[in-house]
Amino acid sequence: MPFTKFTNLDFDQIRSQIKDYIRANSTFTDFDFEGSNFSILIDTLAYNTYITAYNSNMIVNESFLDSATLRENVVSLARNIGYVPRSRSAAKARINLAVQTTSTSPTMTLEAGLVCVGSVNDSQFVFSVPEDVTTTINSGTAKFDDLEICQGTYLKKQFVVDGSLDQRFILQNAFIDTSTIVVKVKGTSDSGEGREYELAQNILNLNKNSEIYLLQEVQDERYELLFGDGFFGKKLENGAIITVSYITTDGIDGNGAKNFAYSGRVTNNLGNVIVPSGDVTISTTSKAQNGGEIESIDSIKYFAPRIYSSQYRAVTARDYEAIIQSIYPNTESVSVVGGEELNPPEFGNVIISIKPKNGDFVSDFDKQSIATKLKNFSLSGINQKIVDLKVLFVEIDSAIYYNNAKVSNVNDLKSKVSSTLNTFATANINQFGGRFKYSKLCQAIDNTDNAVTSNITRVRIRRNLKTLLNTSAQYELCYGNKFRMDKNGFNIKSSGFGLSGRNGTFHFTDTPGENGKGVISVVKERNQDGKFEVVIKSAGTVDYIKGEILLNTITFSSTDKDNDIVEIQAVPDSNDVIGLKDLYLSFSVADSEINMIKDTITSGEQISGVGYKVTSSYLNGELKRG
Amino acid sequence: MAISRGSRAFRDISLSFDPHPVTKDLPILKNARAITRSVQNLVQTIPTERFFQPILGSDVRASLFDFVDFATAGVIEEQIITTIDNFEPRVANVQVDVDPQPDNNNFNVTIFYDIVGQEFPTQEFSFLLEATR
Repeated sequence: MPFTKFTNLDFDQIRSQIKDYIRANSTFTDFDFEGSNFSILIDTLAYNTYITAYNSNMIVNESFLDSATLRENVVSLARNIGYVPRSRSAAKARINLAVQTTSTSPTMTLEAGLVCVGSVNDSQFVFSVPEDVTTTINSGTAKFDDLEICQGTYLKKQFVVDGSLDQRFILQNAFIDTSTIVVKVKGTSDSGEGREYELAQNILNLNKNSEIYLLQEVQDERYELLFGDGFFGKKLENGAIITVSYITTDGIDGNGAKNFAYSGRVTNNLGNVIVPSGDVTISTTSKAQNGGEIESIDSIKYFAPRIYSSQYRAVTARDYEAIIQSIYPNTESVSVVGGEELNPPEFGNVIISIKPKNGDFVSDFDKQSIATKLKNFSLSGINQKIVDLKVLFVEIDSAIYYNNAKVSNVNDLKSKVSSTLNTFATANINQFGGRFKYSKLCQAIDNTDNAVTSNITRVRIRRNLKTLLNTSAQYELCYGNKFRMDKNGFNIKSSGFGLSGRNGTFHFTDTPGENGKGVISVVKERNQDGKFEVVIKSAGTVDYIKGEILLNTITFSSTDKDNDIVEIQAVPDSNDVIGLKDLYLSFSVADSEINMIKDTITSGEQISGVGYKVTSSYLNGELKRG
Repeated sequence: MAISRGSRAFRDISLSFDPHPVTKDLPILKNARAITRSVQNLVQTIPTERFFQPILGSDVRASLFDFVDFATAGVIEEQIITTIDNFEPRVANVQVDVDPQPDNNNFNVTIFYDIVGQEFPTQEFSFLLEATR
């Protein structure tokens, strides 16, 4: 029998191939018996083949970015196309620090290193500053206002340049936040720690005198510094001392710290330590946030080719996606819309929405910081506007029929369905440009358990109107999806709210008109009989075709929901909902309704269908939401 | 008319690899010798020693540091019989005689068996089990 399979990676198959070969080509017969000497030889041969095949397979796999699995190799392949994976990033908080002193020094310096200790979930985390911060002393108090502190431990490492070609400058600590690295080089003629070198992203605009260093990730998530060669970047002289300071951080664990206790060290203008004469007060401006893990292998594989194709220039929407991920690691999803696509068009503008990993909104400070960094990549004449996230919630009202012969506890089945919906939301929907696929959802619900026999699922879409309480204002809500227009109304519903100068709880409702347009009215529920009366007949308009609600000037005084929110829901014309332009599609499982109904036909209780509870496939005729 | 049958002889290679003095061929173990060697290999293979066959072999070596007495001998005897029953289908009627020799700190093992389907007399071979190989 000829050897024809060269791709076997299974020991037993290789072994049986060798046996087949010997069976046909040898006078030996004992190889089929495990105890025989020949069996030992065959095992050795098969093992050898197996190891060789495995190694060949791994070598080929690890040679390509798409198939490599070891981080070291993925990073190395990404390096070939100029991509430096993001490091772990320290959670950063902003504080105001006031130190009382009797010192006569005109200034006070907060030394780089430990500043304070913050706590999150009963765990203590140290916070440091990567560089010295100096302020003046006024009336015995030194104030360090809006001080940014980074979660982690401040460390320093020194190298002495020995001039050899194979000298490497590797920072041996794991978990470094590379954005906190400060490199100083002391030549023979320099004093102190020497001159500060800047991190260079690429070799553009560099010359032989540029004081720069380059950074790359090496084995075991460590980082290596590379310096100039005398052509691109200044060459290090023999005996020069490199001092590298950096912060090693706990990453995402440090997020959330907001109460801090001072543990820092301050000095006077002569460098002598000052002991604070009274309490050191710390007030938190913003709690610790934006701590993140080192970039994952999947992320490197996804973004390295995209950064390469964008060539560090933000031109297309995909370029922005790749670049924003690299300058703001806390990004979960990005939406970029050219101003010309807006209505009315805003030529020259690019509208960017960012969904951060933890939370819904990017802080104003981060927005400004991202916009500033984006300027380095963007085309001149293009203005980037980072806007708040607009979330379009998809909710379902699902009647789930189950066979009670196959389920012991219906609540367990309900929990299983909820869990299915959560998984479905994470995997398929929650993102910019996402699409809610109705048929897939129905299928997922049916497949949750054998006990589920069918489901009738009705879809609604919702946006949260953030009101300005006690202020007259007009509001516009875009849903990006055509509304279903039932001639009888009841298409638009809202949660309750209060109106300035009126008593009671009010709701929005709609009255369809001509040409796909309608009127929004405000109704009030009467206490005595629970019926609704119209309070404001024309409070705004609704465009069913565009999926847009405009509210005329209105003054809200309160809302039933927290955070001054009025929830306004509509029924989509299509059960498949899309996240149009800058709308972030989010499947709100918490606000969805799951009703478990016994399927009396399938379970055999009522095979004639008498007593079977029928569920309408259309939404109910209630005037208010919920 | 005579019926021609394929040879049912068992032929195995010898791991000594000493060439035949005249023909220079590798030595071949046949029939009873091949099976005897196979049984000996099985008994002396430590489980997990063979690649991807972790249960092949017998655990008699684990007993060699126990007391050299008849109790341990009984355990060894049981292990050898189980191993041969599991992995050597060519033999039957296996009997094992384990003789503890406390003065020498070893066991003298004698195995008796019949070869299935062959006209050979009952086979017997002995070997010593001691705490070093």
